[in-house]
Amino acid sequence: MARQVQSIKRWPTWILLIFLVVGLLAVGSTRDTGPRSPGERVDDVSRRVACPVCQGESVFESRNNASESIRAEIRAQVAEAERSDDQIIEDIANRFGGEVLLVPRSTGIEALAWAIPAAALVLGVAGLAMAFRRWRAAADGDRAATADDYSLVDAALASEDEQLHDHERDHEP
Amino acid sequence: MLAASLNSALGNAGLLLMLSATTFGAFATAFSIRARATRTLQHAPRYAWLALAGAVLSVIMMQRALITRDYSLAYVQQVGSSATPALYNVAAMWSALEGSLLLWVLVLAGFTAAVAWRFRARTDDPLVGWALVIMFVVSAFFAFVSFGPASPFAAGPPVGLGFDGPGPNPLLQNHILVIFHPPLLYLGYIGFTVPFAFAIAALITGRVGEGWLMETRRWALFSWAFLTIGIILGGWWAYEVLGWGGVWGWDPVENASLLPWLTGTAYIHSVLVQERRGMLRVWNISLLIATFALTILGTFITRSGIINSVHAFSAGDIEGYLLGFFAVVVIGSLILIGWRGDRLRSPGAIDSPVSREGAFLANNVLFTAFAFVVLLGTLFPLLIEALEDRRTVVGAPYFDRMSTPLGLMLLFLMGIAPVLPWRKASTELLRDRLFWPAWAGVGALAFAVLVGATGWAPLLAFGLAGFAGGAAIRQLVLATRRQGWRGLVGRANGGMVVHLGVILIAVGLASSNSFTHSANIPVTVGTVQSWGGHTFELIEITETLDDRASVVSAQIRLDGGRTFAPAITTYLQRGETIGTPSVSTSLTKDVYLTLDGTVRPLPGSTDATLRVFVKPMIVWLWIGSGLMMLGTLLAAFPGRRRRPTDPVSAPVPVGAEQQR
Repeated sequence: MARQVQSIKRWPTWILLIFLVVGLLAVGSTRDTGPRSPGERVDDVSRRVACPVCQGESVFESRNNASESIRAEIRAQVAEAERSDDQIIEDIANRFGGEVLLVPRSTGIEALAWAIPAAALVLGVAGLAMAFRRWRAAADGDRAATADDYSLVDAALASEDEQLHDHERDHEP
Repeated sequence: MLAASLNSALGNAGLLLMLSATTFGAFATAFSIRARATRTLQHAPRYAWLALAGAVLSVIMMQRALITRDYSLAYVQQVGSSATPALYNVAAMWSALEGSLLLWVLVLAGFTAAVAWRFRARTDDPLVGWALVIMFVVSAFFAFVSFGPASPFAAGPPVGLGFDGPGPNPLLQNHILVIFHPPLLYLGYIGFTVPFAFAIAALITGRVGEGWLMETRRWALFSWAFLTIGIILGGWWAYEVLGWGGVWGWDPVENASLLPWLTGTAYIHSVLVQERRGMLRVWNISLLIATFALTILGTFITRSGIINSVHAFSAGDIEGYLLGFFAVVVIGSLILIGWRGDRLRSPGAIDSPVSREGAFLANNVLFTAFAFVVLLGTLFPLLIEALEDRRTVVGAPYFDRMSTPLGLMLLFLMGIAPVLPWRKASTELLRDRLFWPAWAGVGALAFAVLVGATGWAPLLAFGLAGFAGGAAIRQLVLATRRQGWRGLVGRANGGMVVHLGVILIAVGLASSNSFTHSANIPVTVGTVQSWGGHTFELIEITETLDDRASVVSAQIRLDGGRTFAPAITTYLQRGETIGTPSVSTSLTKDVYLTLDGTVRPLPGSTDATLRVFVKPMIVWLWIGSGLMMLGTLLAAFPGRRRRPTDPVSAPVPVGAEQQR
């Protein structure tokens, strides 16, 4: 029994597993769930627009009149079904100014909001990789002696020999 | 008027007692350590008792002022009201800036006294002495801010005899959780002061080895647990009260509580590397300093009004002090680390990235990156305002988008890390140990696809959750097989129970964020509306009125069974209106009912508009949280592990010499 378990843990089973995962992900993420209902589109768009008079809430969450009028606007645009979500949001942003966008744009100075974290993650991983290289170098250094080490030892031995000879000479009667 | 002045006088006296006890205690203890005066060092705990007595006196006086509605105090004028029920009147103390600082002061004095009590037999140890000095200095700072610039006992403008205050913000007198959420959160925030104080003390004394780390292990763990439960209760409170059907809005104040949690979580993981291998000393000290400094920075961000937030209290005059203290903490710590640089360099090396310590390092990189992203997103509006002089908002969609890949990577790591041995792992070993966890992941993924989940991110989350869950269960099964019930306690095994809780929360978040449906549903008495597989029937609209508020609620029969009553409450004193959702909870989904707030239904009318959210799996957030707390308790339970500082061999029995 134990041997059988060991044998199914071999690589072929793992390859099967990888195929299964890729297949399931492909099926799950590409299958058609039907078009979004207008209500769901309104929700999706309103989640990305900030309420202009509140403090950081989205139009989706906020229940005040300003948000209600923006929601009505979104509802009307969605009902026309001519523009994409992004176009509707761009429209509203132009009317109210950049303040109502909850997601920083990917152009201009606001692109920093995306670029800085990416750079930080790259730096972090690179720093970790460098640390590992240094540790490995240190560990390797422990094991094998370098040419410098040999010359150091040779020099030490030579001087010790000399001292020994000196010593012996001193004690010669 | 005598009673009124009594509240103010004794309250101020308490704060002054704490301020002078901690200031004097800090100087006296520091000088005694320098002079090696062990006799005077024994008095150090007394300053902590005095400070605690002062803080308790102040809080009692504040509670008395609130209970007696002492409107001679500006603070009571602001948050007191004769209509507030007794329980919420207690919580009114932390419903605005000055009072919440007073709560902070009390908890800090409590922790200082707890440290003094726990280490009372070791006052002559310079490490303990300096840690107490740091605790005193931090306490003195907050006592000063509370006594001076943000005094809760300041006299208010004179008011007439019939004056009645507005009471706390309506959102803060609407749900029982307001009693528990802030104090628990504060226990977590402030608890991290203790490991921070010991870290600084280790730097000052030069004893930067593992001693201070072992002393404060449980303090850090319990602070982390309080912070966790505080944050989760905040999410629960938002869900039950705010009415938009979510638990987390990436509001600056929420972010301010998440920041120290992220660095604190990184710390309680990487500390294991130092205990085991003696490495990462600077890193661990830096994480603690970051956790403490971020707590201060978070308080500054949310209490200064520089960033808009639904939580922010009205701006006080304390932002300069907080920012100054933050600068002192960061710069002072950096100088100390630089000064002790030679001792902090640790021997040894991490052999392979594919090892337990390698996984902890990867965990730290991810958690630090997460904290960095949250900090950047929170402060980004300031950056734009400084550079381009215009206002921007960085909201939930940004944070969602950034945290999804980080969360997925953390889940993946949670699957790999528990099976990794220290030092080095071979591919064969991984193949062998990861086999069942990987198939658990495939099973979870297949199940998710089968029940109709879509989208690569949630599917990946479910698969990785299965994988990580499999790894945690594998560790628990092996441990209990080997050690019986003891296989559930101790750090490694309790930690796996915490992981299982986190995994349940991840599943709950992934499904509720991705598969929530909502709609506005008009309902009329006598007709049954159906939507999304549920039926809704309006029975009647009623109103209850007391001198605090008018509550209009709609009785809704859900699926022909139980009735639910979403309501809209109008607070008469403040004239503010808030909605109260009513939720039908089950293991697979919540049906979340609110009344559309834009059209307030009239009592007795026969129609209303419901806003309905169907949120799958949300209850697993709360179940997972419970599991996390259970796991933390199990992890804190002393295992059979030998402390590295204990002798390895058995002590030689007394008299053994004579017998021989």
